Amino acid sequence: MKSPIRTYGFINAKLRARISMLLNEEKIQQLLQARTLNETLGLLRETQYEVVDEVYRRTGDLKLGELELFKIEVGIYEEIARYVEGALLRVVRALLLRYEIDTLKNAIRLFFDRNIRNRSIEDTRYYVYREKILHDISIDDILGANRVEGITEALKQSPYKAIIEANWDSVEKTQSLFALEIAFDRFYYQNILNETAHLSQTDRRVVERLIGVEIDLLNIYWITRYIGFYNISSDRLHTIILPGGHNLSAGTIEDALRAENVAHFLQTLLKSNYPGVSMLLSADTHDNTSRLLLIERLLEQIMIHEVKKTLSGYPFTIGIILSYYLLKRNEVRKIQTILNAKQYELSPDRIKGAMS
Amino acid sequence: MMFTEPMVSLIAVVRDTDMDRVTQELLSQGVLQFIRVEEIKKKWSEKLEDVDPAVSQARIAEMRKRIEGFLRPLAIPIRMPNELDLKKRKPVDLEDTEKKLNAVAGEVQTVRDKQQKIQQEIMKLENIKQQVGTYGINVSDLLFAGTYSFISIRIGKIKTEGLGDFTKQMEKHPAVTITLKEEKANTHLLLIYMKQDEEEVKQILKEADWSAVEAPDGLEDFKGEIGGDIDKKIDALRSEQRQLAGRADTIIRNRASFLNEFWIQLRVNELYYKIQSNFEKTARTILFSGWLPAKKEWNVQEGVVRVTKGRCYLEWHSPRDLAKEPEITTRAPVKLNNPWFLAPFQMLVTTYGIPEYGTIDPTPAVFITYLIMFGLMFPDVGHGFVIALFGIIGNILFRGKNENFRNLSNLMIYCGATAVLTGVLVGSYFGLPWLKPVWFDFHGILSGHPEKQSLINSIFDVLTISIYFGIAVIEIGFLFNWINLVIKRKWINLLLDKAGLLGVWIYNGGIYVSLYMIHHNYRKLPPFSHLILLLAVPSVLLILKEPLQKTIERKEKLFANLTIFTPVNFLMGWGVELIEIFSGYLSNTLSFFRVAGFGIAHVSLMMAFFQLAGMAGGGRANTPVGIVILLFGNMLVIILEGLSAGVQSLRLNYYEFFTKFFRGSGILYNPVSLTGVSLKRKD
Repeated sequence: MKSPIRTYGFINAKLRARISMLLNEEKIQQLLQARTLNETLGLLRETQYEVVDEVYRRTGDLKLGELELFKIEVGIYEEIARYVEGALLRVVRALLLRYEIDTLKNAIRLFFDRNIRNRSIEDTRYYVYREKILHDISIDDILGANRVEGITEALKQSPYKAIIEANWDSVEKTQSLFALEIAFDRFYYQNILNETAHLSQTDRRVVERLIGVEIDLLNIYWITRYIGFYNISSDRLHTIILPGGHNLSAGTIEDALRAENVAHFLQTLLKSNYPGVSMLLSADTHDNTSRLLLIERLLEQIMIHEVKKTLSGYPFTIGIILSYYLLKRNEVRKIQTILNAKQYELSPDRIKGAMS
Repeated sequence: MMFTEPMVSLIAVVRDTDMDRVTQELLSQGVLQFIRVEEIKKKWSEKLEDVDPAVSQARIAEMRKRIEGFLRPLAIPIRMPNELDLKKRKPVDLEDTEKKLNAVAGEVQTVRDKQQKIQQEIMKLENIKQQVGTYGINVSDLLFAGTYSFISIRIGKIKTEGLGDFTKQMEKHPAVTITLKEEKANTHLLLIYMKQDEEEVKQILKEADWSAVEAPDGLEDFKGEIGGDIDKKIDALRSEQRQLAGRADTIIRNRASFLNEFWIQLRVNELYYKIQSNFEKTARTILFSGWLPAKKEWNVQEGVVRVTKGRCYLEWHSPRDLAKEPEITTRAPVKLNNPWFLAPFQMLVTTYGIPEYGTIDPTPAVFITYLIMFGLMFPDVGHGFVIALFGIIGNILFRGKNENFRNLSNLMIYCGATAVLTGVLVGSYFGLPWLKPVWFDFHGILSGHPEKQSLINSIFDVLTISIYFGIAVIEIGFLFNWINLVIKRKWINLLLDKAGLLGVWIYNGGIYVSLYMIHHNYRKLPPFSHLILLLAVPSVLLILKEPLQKTIERKEKLFANLTIFTPVNFLMGWGVELIEIFSGYLSNTLSFFRVAGFGIAHVSLMMAFFQLAGMAGGGRANTPVGIVILLFGNMLVIILEGLSAGVQSLRLNYYEFFTKFFRGSGILYNPVSLTGVSLKRKD
């Protein structure tokens, strides 16, 4: 078995250089403060995202520019996959699944809009990523399908066929894709955690921690959103919580669901684990929307806290790959939010509130 | 050059009626770095109020950045404001400026919206092509319309005389119209279009008296023609899109001149109000304070007195005066005063930190030490020439664009030139000893054939050079530290610091002991009395540091706050400091072995490549294979060794040299001026 230094030496240097090139807070502020979409994209011209500006200047189509953002992310992981092997390659491929699943979700949402909600998807179907990521999936076949059998036929070479077959009844019954999307997320995280079985103990702990925090955040997100907004009963919510969280065990989640004030409960929990960031939750919030936005901002800070902790530790672990993955995704989401908000001419303050 | 520029602080009181004239004069002079008045006169703070500038600086800055956002992506240069712009300054109408900028942004957005509409058409056509390509246009497929989820295919006929109108109507939609058969009265057509356009197309077909016909055989043969038709349409649309993209750029370029003028006016006003935002006021007066170079004192005095017609009060203080007042917290900013050709080395210094005000600016010393280190680690005429050449190219490429990269390029020129010089000294030309070395034969030493008459005829001699060089650098560091401590009048530190007189006494004692042992074949230490005098005495005297600092600097009683742990802490502190001195200085000195080490590695690597080339070429290096190996070898050495030598030279300067004297706690001098430099009375 290769030593950690031989395994991670090169990747560590490469990704740390990439991390140093992530947009700093000053640049994000400049993007936020830019008055129009054109001016915002002009600022991206001096960065690694200049292709987004280039596509927009050529076509006037922001969604094509966002597709370029997606391609950039996928390209990075495909590149990392070329430099690793064995168990590490399997984990990197498991991370890549995120993009394939996101693409599949987009395609199925459009199918759903067209066939179940009878909405036109003419203006949106061009913007789904069509190139192969890991499995042979024909997005055009999914978009053009008239029935779910068309989708499962298109996914026959992939593990997603079984997920759709298992959850489609629920989709038809509830007329909502929620259960299916949760099933995809569950598959994604379970797959990553399964692949850690082949890693060293150190690496396994790092993956379980970082991915576990991501699962915690997703679970908190679902709890606050669905109890706060949709008044969904705690019995039903229990079925959608993802296992594998780092701080939130099944028992803790049960307690959260029973709590009268979910936000208060979460604050108490987070204070003990993340004293530095839980002060944000002390802010006085009166309504569910503000509380949710506050919690989402807190979650971002927690993720960054965990990533920084990982980056300041022993460098030759899988933590460098996961940290870069999380930081890069966070950055791309911010840029997407800003660009879309500029297109709709939202003020910088409103955009800041929407960013999580 | 060797010291930071002397500064002086000013407190000024002028009439409120003179505020605008004074602002203009201060901006024109461009030498004042503002501070709050209460940083010097704490007692006045209660009586003063802030001046609110007429216009929000933040809004002006926002407008200015918007204009930069228009111009910079198109690489349109922005002219900096000058004295004339300041004289012509008018208060800026932000509402009007914003309207004009919004109008420009709106024009550009209109073009982008048109581009987007065209892009939608292109994507629809591409989709038609993709669907036809994937599913084909066999008869059986036509019957099963469900195969095509997004396109519709029809085969029918219309009257030939109506074909022209029909085609024109269909061109408004992303569609393909292929003529299958032409008859006298009717034309048979294959029509492919988007399902979303169904209603409109039905209307067109109705108007053209379309009637469906049976699909002919051999429909698949038209796939090529369909593809060609679509490609032609897409090309035409893309060309239109490109023209629109050019038009969007032209909108900005045509307005570049007035945008630049706006920018200049905004910038002048921004700086103007920035100065006023630093003013404070009473009922009838305006007060301001700041730092400026001492040599500009007369200029500013003359200027303010002139514009206020003598109705002003100016008070000047030196940093030393202010340092005597414990409640005054302001510190003089630091202006480094180096000539233009030392800019790359100043960049190296400021990357580490800004020197404390009044202390030594090590830039000229770094110019010498860095280049000597690099030259000794990378001695080759050919390689140095290549590095200098890349530096020249970089200088040209980055001129006016990126100052840091330009400085880096200039540094490469210096390093390359030094490497050429040291290459001549040791006789190395692309790894070959073509000419007789001026100093010593490095190749000869490493290959076991040194020049017998030369003073340097073994690797140990080379290592000795690097150690003596290292000792010299460290001693210069000590000297700089003493000078800084004398300037700051920190006598106890001067005497008892690690890099003070006692510390240097120990260091030089250590050098003497080491040299003595070397000269006696490591078998004998110096006489005991020497050891006592050179090492033991100063080590014991170091004990005085803490008590003297406590009583003299901190003005506490010697035995005040004594606990049971005090003597333990004291002895441990002394012990740790001694260990730091002995081990630290030893490691600092031995660090310089790397200078020789890298030089040896450089020459050895080239010798190895020549041997490889010879072996590959059957005993001769000048075969094609041999030449390829030598080319590759030279490239590798230039890149890897060049980078290593550059980084190691920096490391030695930062860690071995700077740590002896450099306190990077200075604040960089940053006056409010039109261009960042003073316009008046340039020295």
